[in-house]
Amino acid sequence: MLKAMLRGLFAHKLRLILSALAIILGTAFMSAAFVSGDTISKGFTDLFSTINEDIDAQVTAKSDVPSLEGGGGEALVTKVVPQDVADKLKGLDGAESVTPQVVSDGARVIGKDGKVVASNGPPRLGGAWPANINEDPNLELRLGTGPTAPDQVVLSANLAKSAGVTVGDKVEIITLQPRRTFTVSGISGYKGGRDSLGGETFVYFTLPVAQELMLGTTGVYSNVDIKAAPGVSQETLKQRAQAVVGDGYTVRTGEETSQEQASGIQSFLSIFSTGLAVFGFLALFTGAFLIFNTFSMLIAQRTRELALYRSFGANRGQVLRSVLLESLLLGLAASIVGLLIGFGLGWLLTRLLRSTGFPGGALVISPWVVIGTLFAGTIITVLSALAPALRASRVAPIEAMRDAAKPDKPLRRLTTFGLILMAVGIALLILKGTKTLEDNVLTLGGGCLFIFIGAVMVAPALSRPITGTIGKLVDWATPGRLGVRNTGRNPRRTALTAAALMIGVTLATGAGVFASSVKAGLSDIFASELNADLILQTDFTAGPTAGFQPALMDQVRQIPGVSTAAALQTDGVKLANRDEFVVATDAKAAQTLFTLEPREGEIRELNSGEIILNDGFATKTGLKVGDTATMQTARGEAKDLKVIGILASSQVVTNPLISPADASGFRSPLAQQAYIKVTDPAQIEPVRTQLKTLVADNPEVSVSDPSAQIKQATTFLDLMLNVLNVLLGLTILVAVLGVINTLLLSVFERTRELGLLRAIGMNRSRMGWMITVEAVLISVFGALLGMVLGTALGITLVKIFGGNFLKLTIPWGYLIATLVLAVIAGLIAALLPAWRAARLNVLQAIAYE
Amino acid sequence: MSAAARAVDVWKVYGVGEAQVIALRGVSLEVERGKFTAIMGPSGSGKSTLMHCLAGLDSVTRGQVMIGEAMVTGLSDAGLTKLRREKVGFIFQQFNLLPTLTAEENILLPLAIAGRKPDQEWYQTVINTVGLADRLSHRPSQLSGGQQQRVACARALASRPEVIFADEPTGNLDSRSGADILSFLRRSVSEYGQTIVMVTHDANAASYADRVVFLGDGRIVDELHSPTAEAVLDKIKSLDLTVGAPE
Repeated sequence: MLKAMLRGLFAHKLRLILSALAIILGTAFMSAAFVSGDTISKGFTDLFSTINEDIDAQVTAKSDVPSLEGGGGEALVTKVVPQDVADKLKGLDGAESVTPQVVSDGARVIGKDGKVVASNGPPRLGGAWPANINEDPNLELRLGTGPTAPDQVVLSANLAKSAGVTVGDKVEIITLQPRRTFTVSGISGYKGGRDSLGGETFVYFTLPVAQELMLGTTGVYSNVDIKAAPGVSQETLKQRAQAVVGDGYTVRTGEETSQEQASGIQSFLSIFSTGLAVFGFLALFTGAFLIFNTFSMLIAQRTRELALYRSFGANRGQVLRSVLLESLLLGLAASIVGLLIGFGLGWLLTRLLRSTGFPGGALVISPWVVIGTLFAGTIITVLSALAPALRASRVAPIEAMRDAAKPDKPLRRLTTFGLILMAVGIALLILKGTKTLEDNVLTLGGGCLFIFIGAVMVAPALSRPITGTIGKLVDWATPGRLGVRNTGRNPRRTALTAAALMIGVTLATGAGVFASSVKAGLSDIFASELNADLILQTDFTAGPTAGFQPALMDQVRQIPGVSTAAALQTDGVKLANRDEFVVATDAKAAQTLFTLEPREGEIRELNSGEIILNDGFATKTGLKVGDTATMQTARGEAKDLKVIGILASSQVVTNPLISPADASGFRSPLAQQAYIKVTDPAQIEPVRTQLKTLVADNPEVSVSDPSAQIKQATTFLDLMLNVLNVLLGLTILVAVLGVINTLLLSVFERTRELGLLRAIGMNRSRMGWMITVEAVLISVFGALLGMVLGTALGITLVKIFGGNFLKLTIPWGYLIATLVLAVIAGLIAALLPAWRAARLNVLQAIAYE
Repeated sequence: MSAAARAVDVWKVYGVGEAQVIALRGVSLEVERGKFTAIMGPSGSGKSTLMHCLAGLDSVTRGQVMIGEAMVTGLSDAGLTKLRREKVGFIFQQFNLLPTLTAEENILLPLAIAGRKPDQEWYQTVINTVGLADRLSHRPSQLSGGQQQRVACARALASRPEVIFADEPTGNLDSRSGADILSFLRRSVSEYGQTIVMVTHDANAASYADRVVFLGDGRIVDELHSPTAEAVLDKIKSLDLTVGAPE
C-alpha cells in the first residue's frame, strides 16, 4: 500500500520539484542567516579574546550620559582617566603590568580627493602609539617607523589604502580640533596579516598629541589596561583595581571587556541576520500556500486512485498516513537541500564580509541551526499538506467508479468564515490602534494576521468576479476568452495560487504606502514650518565629533543678503533623568526660522542656565515654566536649567533648546547644522556661493537647501524600500513557482480539451496565449488583493505611527509598477505551461482517457 | 465530381525493428463529396489510424493524403492547423465539449477560433435540425450525453467544413440517442450535401451510410453501397472480420 502510494508521489516529479523549491529557498535563507551570523559572531569573540589576551582588568571612567548609537558614537570616549588615577594603579598589588591607553573615535583622515575617508559604521579611531611596539601582543609595524614628532602619525593599513597615502606622504586629519597636517611615518596592522578588527580605521599619534586631539587635553587616558601577575585571577584583580580607583570608574575583567567590545559590533550583525531569517521565514510561509495547493491538486487528481485503494480495503488512517508521509519526505528532503544550500550561501556571505574586514574562520554550524531549519521546513510542509490529506482520507470507495471531476463545493461557508476573521482583525486594529505602538504590537500584528487569513478565505469567492472583470480586457478574442473562463473554473485553486503572491505584494505595498507618507509628511513640514532658504549640513556619517565652529555664524550673518541665521549644536544628554537630545542655538533666530510659537512662557534668546522645552518633553516630564531641570552633558558637570518657555507642537523642533553657553560639556564643541534665511529669493544663489567659500576647508560640511534636504532624507528611505523589495522579491519568486505549478497541473488535467482545441484548428501560439491569459489573470488577481490589503496595512501603520509627521499618501506610481510587475510575473510563469500546452500531441491528447 | 478527401497508397508504420507495427498497408480511398462514408473494421484493423491520417491529425509514413484540392501530406503543424480550421470538422466518441463554454459557445468555437462570423441562416438551420434551440445557454454538465453529442455535431457542421470526421460518434450513447445522432448525420448529408466520414464498429450505424468501406489488417478488403444492417453483418461474416470493441 505505502509503496504503491509513494510511487504515486514520484510520478509527479516536476510538480513536486516546484513545490520543493519554495521550501528549499526558505530554508536556505534561514540557515544561511543563522550560520553566517554564528560564524561572524564566533570570529569576533575569538578575535577580541586574542586581542585582550594581555588584559586581565580594564579601568574606564564612568559616564552618566549614554553613548550615542551609530556612526562610531559607541567608541567615542567622553569621560577620561586622569594621570593621577593612572599613577595610583601603577603599584597595584597582583598586577604584572599597568598600561594607560589613549584611544577614541573621531579621527577623520582627508583623502587624496579632498574628501574625508568614509566609514560605513565602524569607528574611526585615533590613539597613542604604544611605547614599545615590539612588545605589543597584537599590533605590528608594517612599514616605516612609529610617530616620534608631534606632526607624525602611523595609519592602519586599511586607512592608508583608502586614503591613498603611504610612508612619507602628508595627510590632513580632523579630530576634536579642525584639520591639521601630519606626515605619515609608518603603516600598521595586526599580527596575522589582519588590517582591522571589524572594518575600523586607526590613526596613531604620539601620546601627548593623541591626548590633546582625541580626549581634549593632555595628561588624561581613555582607559588603563592591567595584566595580572601569575596566580592572580581576573576577578581578584578587578576587585583590587576597583578599590584603588573608587566609584567614579568602571573596572571590567578581560573577559567582560571582550564581551563588551564584541557586543557593540554584533548588534549591527544581529539586525542583518534577523532580517535574513525573517525573509527566509516569509518565503517558507509563501511556500506553504504552494505546498497546500500542490497536495490539494495531486489528491483531486488521484481521487480515483485513492478510492481504489479504499475499495481494496485500505482504511482512512492508512490513506491519511500515506499522504502525510509523502509530505514529510518532501519537506525533509527539501529542507536538507535547503540547509546545504544555506551553508553554501552562509559561507559566501562570511567570505564577502571577511573581504570588507570582518573576522571569521571556518563555518560555525551549530546543531540547533540544523535541527531548527529541518524542523521548520518539514513541519511547514506537513502542516500545509494536512488539510489535503484529511480530504484524501475522506474519499469514499464509490468515487473510484465516478467521474473524477466533481463540482466544486459551495464557497459560502468559507467566505462567511473569512469575512468574520477580517471583521475581527479590523476590530482589533480599531480598538487598540489608538494607543502607542509599543503597547500593542501584538494586537496590531494579530489584527493584521486575522485580516490576512480572512482575506485568503474570501479570495476564492472574489476570484471569479475579479478575474472576470479584468478579463474583459482580453475577452475580445477566443484564446483570451477561454483563458478567462479557465481562470474562473476552480476558484479555490486560483485564489490559493494568487494568495501566495498576495503575501509579498501586501508587504511591499504596505511599506510603499508608509514610505510615501513619510516623504509627503517631510515635504509638508519643510514647506509649512521651515522658513529657511539655505542649510549648512554636516555629513551624518561623519560621527558625533564632526561639524563647524558655531562662531562661523558671525561671519555668515555678515554676508550681504542674509536676514537670519542660527547654528544648531545637538547632543545627547541626561535631562531631568531622561536620555534626551538637546539643541544649543539662538532661540530668537530659531523662532523665525522654524515658525515656533510658545505654548507657555516665552521664546527669546536664552541666557546661560535657561531652557525652552519642546511640547513632547514637557508633556512627558510634566515640567512647567519656572521649574528647574538638571542637565548632565557627556563631558561637563551637571547643571540646573530654568524652564522659561514651552514650545507649541512643532514638526521641525522636537527637542529642548538651550543656550550655546551651556553646551561646553557636549561631546563636540562644533555645531552640526545651520539654517539661513535670506532677505529676498534673488539673494539665495549669491549667499550660497559665499557660504561655500566659508566652509570650503571643511570637507564634512556642505551647503544645502530644504529641497536637497528632503531629497537626502528620501534617498535613504528609497534605499531601505529597495532593499526590502529585493528581499520581498524572493516571496514573489516562490509565488511565481506556484503559478507555474498550478498551470502545469491545469494543462495536464485539460489535456483532452487542449487536444480538441488543436483538432478544431487552434494554432500553437493561440494555445500559448490562452494559457498566458490565465497565468497573468492569476498573478494580477493576487497582486490586486495584495495591493488592497497592503494599502490598508500602510494606512493602518500611518495612523498608528501617525502624528502629523506622516501625511497619508498613496504611491500610485509604485502601485502601477507593482501591477506591471505582476503582469510580467504572470508572463514568465506562463512560459513553461504554455510551451507544454503548445507541444501537446493532438492525437494523443484526444485519445487521452 | 472531385473527391472531398483522398488517400493514395497510404502506409503508416509505428516504431522500428522488433517493435514495428504496420497500421496501414497501402490504402487508397476516395471519399466522395456529399456522401456519407462509413469505415468499418475490427480492433487493430487501422480504421482509426486511417481516419486520423485523412483528417491531418496524424502523419503518413508513405503515400499521400488530400482534402479537397489541398495536399495534406508534408504540411507543417501551422499548415495542418489551418487546414483543420478551414476544411475539417470533428465529432468524437467522448463529445469533447469545453465545460467552461455554453452549448452555443461550443458550437461557434471553431468559427471563433478561425475568426469567422457565423452565417446566421445556416446556424439557425443547424440548431433547429439538432433540436437544441432551447438548450443553447446550458453548460455541457447540464446536458445529457445525447444532447452533448448533438452539440458536438452542430459544432462540426457550423463551419460547413469540406469534410466531417466522426469517430465512433454513438459509442458512448444509448441506442435511442445514437439513432438520433445517426439520422441527424444522415440528414445533413442528404439535405445539405455535407460530406461525412464515420468510423464505427456497429453494423447498424454503418447502415446509415451511402457507402461502407471494410478494413482488415491495414488494407481495404471490401466495400458496400447503400447498405442495410443485415447486408453489413453478412459482409462481415463473409469476410471473417470479427468486429471488436471500440478502440
